[in-house]
Amino acid sequence: MQLKQLIRVATKSLAVNRSRSFLTALGVIIGVASVILLVSVGSGLKDFITGQMQDMGSNLIMIVPGDIDIEGAGAGGEAASGAFSSITASKLKLSDAVEIERSLPQIKDTAAMVMAPGLASYKSETFTGQVIGTTQNYINIRSSEFESGSFFTESEVNSGRKVAVLGYTIAEELFGKQNPIGEKIKVGDYRYLVMGVMKEQGGQGSLTSDDKIFVPITTAQRQFGMDNVSLIFTEVSSSDEVASTIPLLEEVMLRRHEEEDFTVIDQKEILSTVSSILDTLTIALGGIAAISLLVGGIGIMNIMLVSVTERTREIGLRKALGATPEVILTQFLIEAVFLSVGGGIIGILLGSGGALLLNNFIPMTVTAWSIILAFAVSAGVGIIFGIAPARRASLLSPIEALRYE
Amino acid sequence: MTETKNILKLESVSKIYQMDGVSVKALDNVTLAIMRGEFVSIIGPSGSGKSTLMHIVGCLDTPTSGKVLLDGQEVSQMTERQLAQVRNKKIGFVFQQFNLLPRTSALENVSLPLLYNGTPSSEIPKKAAEVLGKVGLGDRLDHHPNQLSGGQQQRVAIARALITDPSIILADEPTGNLDSKSGVEVMEIFKKLHEQGRTIILVTHDDDIANQAQRTIRLKDGKVIN
Ligand SMILES: Nc1ncnc2c1ncn2[C@@H]1O[C@H](COP(=O)(O)OP(=O)(O)OP(=O)(O)O)[C@@H](O)[C@H]1O
Ligand SMILES: [Mg+2]
Repeated sequence: MQLKQLIRVATKSLAVNRSRSFLTALGVIIGVASVILLVSVGSGLKDFITGQMQDMGSNLIMIVPGDIDIEGAGAGGEAASGAFSSITASKLKLSDAVEIERSLPQIKDTAAMVMAPGLASYKSETFTGQVIGTTQNYINIRSSEFESGSFFTESEVNSGRKVAVLGYTIAEELFGKQNPIGEKIKVGDYRYLVMGVMKEQGGQGSLTSDDKIFVPITTAQRQFGMDNVSLIFTEVSSSDEVASTIPLLEEVMLRRHEEEDFTVIDQKEILSTVSSILDTLTIALGGIAAISLLVGGIGIMNIMLVSVTERTREIGLRKALGATPEVILTQFLIEAVFLSVGGGIIGILLGSGGALLLNNFIPMTVTAWSIILAFAVSAGVGIIFGIAPARRASLLSPIEALRYE
Repeated sequence: MTETKNILKLESVSKIYQMDGVSVKALDNVTLAIMRGEFVSIIGPSGSGKSTLMHIVGCLDTPTSGKVLLDGQEVSQMTERQLAQVRNKKIGFVFQQFNLLPRTSALENVSLPLLYNGTPSSEIPKKAAEVLGKVGLGDRLDHHPNQLSGGQQQRVAIARALITDPSIILADEPTGNLDSKSGVEVMEIFKKLHEQGRTIILVTHDDDIANQAQRTIRLKDGKVIN
């Protein structure tokens, strides 16, 4: 019997039980769609974050608190959690940044940073943003354009004045159409004089200036009672100089610190660390969704077993009319594979369609490998979970089967 | 010469069923021969082994001992796979319960055996329609079994048995589930097929039906008694 006719027979019996076939395939549909959706969320996040980090520029070298094992970052969250815990107990000092600037002339700019969430208010308007205490060079490194006004200068940092530069969103929320320059906003119990508003940058998280309030680092340290800084970053004139500058930075820092309570990393390293963490996340998300695919496969096996019992007489008849055990086995296998592959294809369409739709709200990237994998797994699921029922059908004795009520 | 004259030959065929240690001798040393073109009825009380005999002749089952020669071919030692092919090519079954696939048209039901012998799919519907025409159902091709009377359903089953042009037609109580009028119609078809030269073996309880055949074989307790 040709495969073409076997396929015809199998599709015919699936069509005869249309609604049951659909419900059986539903398990696979949901499984495949969720694999694709969750993997798209993971890879979308990765693309988004790494894209934003690339925008930072490849001339950057950062000094972060704590002794982070960058090479071990492949292990996933460990490096990330190390980084988080060390921020709270940072041993970096503002004087470190000053010393770097003084002793390493090949470094173009150096800036130190502290961060704290802060509720800003102007008259009756309020907005919760991120207060960034930093030095005047920040604006050279993260070159941003100004809507109006300008960034604060060295003298304002040195004297710890209460001046602020507002991100675009904050300025808009607090002032609307009014010009904020020269007005005073309240952050906590400090009143800051607004001296600049930045242009809109877009994006989210730590990489956009839109929801940030920039103040001199000395003022921020005083207001929030800090004597350390969370981050120092420096810029060299070209990315070729990054590799040679890192050991010099380490040397300067080691001279000033008794132990290695800091890590010098460049953008490339951060990028690979972050992307490996996000890869792990993507795989974990995909794995969780894969469980539902497995459940879908078991559903197929369950229904196929029921179907074999229900169709015992049909199987007996087909055998009496000349179907060999192999033909019966193939027919039932094809039915199972069609259910799972059909479910897989619908799942892929739903999953990628859904991902493209959701892309309007959160970053999603549909990856080819997740589609290929989902398809292969659903076909495999059909074969693996179809074999037991198909074998049972092929081994039925025709007389027993015809006698079956 | 006898090989060509006899389409079917059974030599000392026995079938013993083992059930929970008790053995039931369903067929006991049966020897018989059926000639090409013969119309034979098999009659006997319930449990006498008629169906068992039909199953062995029809290659649905193998005998415990003895030889079965179908169209000159020894079938008693064949594998499942070979038996399936013999069933497809040489045997046409008609069952008491019709055994049509539900929710499937008459045309497709009749087509079934052709799916298993490599007939090009383009030729199948034409052939099926032709045989359905021969049993007087040319205008019922697309009807499903539940849209047909019992007699019509049995005629679809006969068409299905005929479509591979088999050496023997085996009918196990084909009128058992029919009213007498439909039964007569079905018997008319068998008689017509016989006139066209087909070999038919028909199992029945009913002496009137048995007498419509050329020859009657009587079974009792698994033995031939005439
Ligand atoms: N699969 C089986 N296992 C055990 N015993 C069986 C089996 N099939 C048939 N038998 C026994 O073999 C004997 C013959 O059965 P068979 O079905 O051939 O009778 P029959 O003449 O067709 O009867 P009926 O007229 O009621 O159809 C019976 O005693 C039956 O119980
Ligand atoms: Mg019987």
